Amino acid sequence: MPLLETTELSKYFGGVVALESISLSIEKGEILGMIGPNGSGKTTFINVLSGIYRPEKGEVKFKKRDVTGFPPHVITREGISRTFQNLRVFPNISVLQNILTGLHCRIDNSLFGIFFSPFSSMKREKQAEHKSLEILEMVNLAKTKNELAKNLPYGEQRLLEICRALASEPDLLLLDEPCAGMNPVEIDTLATFLKKLKSAGITIFIIEHNMRFVMSIAERIVVLNAGKKFKEGLPAEIQNDREVQEIYLGEEEEI
Amino acid sequence: MLFNILIAGILLGSIYALVTIGYSMVYGILKLMNFAHGDVYIFGTLFCFTLLSKYHLNAVIAVVISAIMGGVLASAVEFFAYRRLRAAQHRMISMITALGAAYIIQNCSELEWGSQVLPFPSLIPAQFIEVFGHQISTTQIITLMVAVGFIVLFNLFLKYHKMGKAILCVSEDINTSRLMGIPINLIISIVYFLGGVLGVIGGILYSASFNAISLGMGFRGTIIAFTAAVIGGIGSMNGALIGGMILGISENIIAVYVSSTYRDTLTFLILIIVLLIKPSGIMGKGDYEKV
Amino acid sequence: MALPEAKKLKLVLFAAVFIVAIGLPFILRDPYYLGFVNVFIMYSILSLGLNLILGYTGLLSLGHAAFFGLGGYTTAILMKNHGLPFVPSLVISALIALFFGFLVGIPTRKVKGDYFCLLTIIFGEIFRLVVQSWIGFTGGAMGIVGIPIPKIFGWTIRTEADFYFLGLGLLCFTYFTLAILVKSKFGRAFVAIREDELAASVMGVNAPVYKILAFGIGCLYAGLAGSYLAVYQTVVTPSNFRLEESCFMIIAVIVGGMGNLGATFSGVFLMTLATEVFRPIAEYRMLIIGLIMVIVLLFRPQGLFGASAFKD
Repeated sequence: MPLLETTELSKYFGGVVALESISLSIEKGEILGMIGPNGSGKTTFINVLSGIYRPEKGEVKFKKRDVTGFPPHVITREGISRTFQNLRVFPNISVLQNILTGLHCRIDNSLFGIFFSPFSSMKREKQAEHKSLEILEMVNLAKTKNELAKNLPYGEQRLLEICRALASEPDLLLLDEPCAGMNPVEIDTLATFLKKLKSAGITIFIIEHNMRFVMSIAERIVVLNAGKKFKEGLPAEIQNDREVQEIYLGEEEEI
Repeated sequence: MLFNILIAGILLGSIYALVTIGYSMVYGILKLMNFAHGDVYIFGTLFCFTLLSKYHLNAVIAVVISAIMGGVLASAVEFFAYRRLRAAQHRMISMITALGAAYIIQNCSELEWGSQVLPFPSLIPAQFIEVFGHQISTTQIITLMVAVGFIVLFNLFLKYHKMGKAILCVSEDINTSRLMGIPINLIISIVYFLGGVLGVIGGILYSASFNAISLGMGFRGTIIAFTAAVIGGIGSMNGALIGGMILGISENIIAVYVSSTYRDTLTFLILIIVLLIKPSGIMGKGDYEKV
Repeated sequence: MALPEAKKLKLVLFAAVFIVAIGLPFILRDPYYLGFVNVFIMYSILSLGLNLILGYTGLLSLGHAAFFGLGGYTTAILMKNHGLPFVPSLVISALIALFFGFLVGIPTRKVKGDYFCLLTIIFGEIFRLVVQSWIGFTGGAMGIVGIPIPKIFGWTIRTEADFYFLGLGLLCFTYFTLAILVKSKFGRAFVAIREDELAASVMGVNAPVYKILAFGIGCLYAGLAGSYLAVYQTVVTPSNFRLEESCFMIIAVIVGGMGNLGATFSGVFLMTLATEVFRPIAEYRMLIIGLIMVIVLLFRPQGLFGASAFKD
């Protein structure tokens, strides 16, 4: 059963066609990878899925519900979370505060509640803090909980961003080039982490340029080219596909 | 009657356009709201007043000296107060600094000239001629010609002179210009200088037309520049012209037909409406932020 | 129950502040000094609200004085012209400021940062101009005079000491409600918006709504302060609420530290002290304020204790 389905999704910026009639589905529990040359529309695709852009045409269905054009915060509440290509943690607040912010839509405190029922509000805050530390434990970052996010080494900041996305209890996690700028050790840590998430039941959609990484971790691959869905298939098939290799001709492949 | 109001409005509009150009250019390049703009050129106008009334200098000489002085002051403000903040993380920090600079200049003006309205001399002897059966004063015509003249001159400068073209490059894309070897700091100083010069000329024309100059015109001058720039489209030369004209004409019409007490309020309301509907103004293009 | 050292220290500090605060009117016999404290308290209330807007949420509002004025004029009109007692006037003033705060906050959805700042300046100017011109309603440039003496359940507030306790009460309300707010998920949401609005919305924060919320709430406290001013001064005039006042508050917030609630007091203290100290050379007032603005922002934008978000 597809967790997320896009039908004929199209996005235009003035005269520029960023996405043209993208129809694909993400199955529950799978890790789906998306590759494609620079400018093929991958980030635009994630931006549409996460509600930052409204598509001009087509629709997005998540858990059988039409979420096309929903604003980002609603989509997060529905159960889709994401990270950014150019790392957007909140730099000047602590690691713990970053995660707690990610929990925003899952903490039930209301504006009146924090003043008039302080005890239950504080209890929920404590629970939230507990949960945040649990998430940080998964990647061994709990010890840095009071550090300002901007002071963390780059690889840890990337992990932090993923943790922050996990805080909102997503069913679907969208990762935009999570490996960018990471060294091989960090990439291995990431791969292990993602596999752990998958076994916890989270569906993962990952855009990457790092071929070795995405081929090793994804169960299926979608190839985007010039805004259109070019090919779909198993990693082995895609890797050896002549046409896919051709569209990358002239591009520097990262291994 | 309508004809006179229109002429007066066009006159006002061309003066407004003059003072808006400097502000609009600065914002276009640096995205900085120069709150000190009005106070700088009013300082220059007050300076001219002193030159004329106290030292009885020849009108042209006084105007030239004051204009240059205004330009220098504008560049000085940039150099001391804004330059360091160009790379600042939060743009609002520069805005507050600009306000601070405005207050410093305002206070200095007040110490020197007080806050009352001073009688600015006419500069151009008043004579009336008939056009289309209506009376217009030569003062108005000459003022209009001077204002439009400077605007045209400036436009030509931007288009054909090497430095003018450099300015256009910088306002288009500051980083690429830097890579192309254009001396950014120098260009920016010049932009501020020219904006100050044009502003002072505009201020002098205004004060000569209405025979009044006071400290309070500084803040109002800044607001006028803001409003005209926003209406016409920030960063665009033509925008400054169009915005200035629209503002000048509508202000005049409102002052005469509606109410002069609420004139400023209505100017502000125009600004709000434009900001809410199309902040990029008439000539401006929309901003697409890349995520 | 053994408390950790840090918590013990905090409690002792708290108790000390509490005792001093209650005893202050008896320590400072001279009403002049108490008057200074009252002004300090009033500006603290204003600046705390502004810190929520500017320091925590990252919205530059140069129109805060207008909401100060809304509170002041509302109380003045209700108490003088309609004979309403102080407490309901106070509450209504706060709500009016809140309402207009929401109204002015609405454009943040569509209007970029600097333009929004411009909008707040214009709102402030329109407020001042309307108040100055609507002579029938607001008394024009002369303002409203003869605002009645406030009474709360039989306690007549007349002396500096009386106003001190009233102000202290309002200040405690302001500080503690804000402290609770910024520690909650709402405070985190505001900070997230300041740090990175897009990332915040993707994290589930309804950014447009929260910006309006932050702005409105910040303005509510300005309304409270305005109400206080009205009964303290017994007059309200347009000159109390000029753009200069907004700048004063902005600097107080910046100098004390943006994004740090407690630090606001230090900024307000420095600014009110400076105003007092420089009173003999009042004609240089704006010059000095301007210089402070420029120097602080050039060399230490995070103020004394501000959030590192604002460091160079």
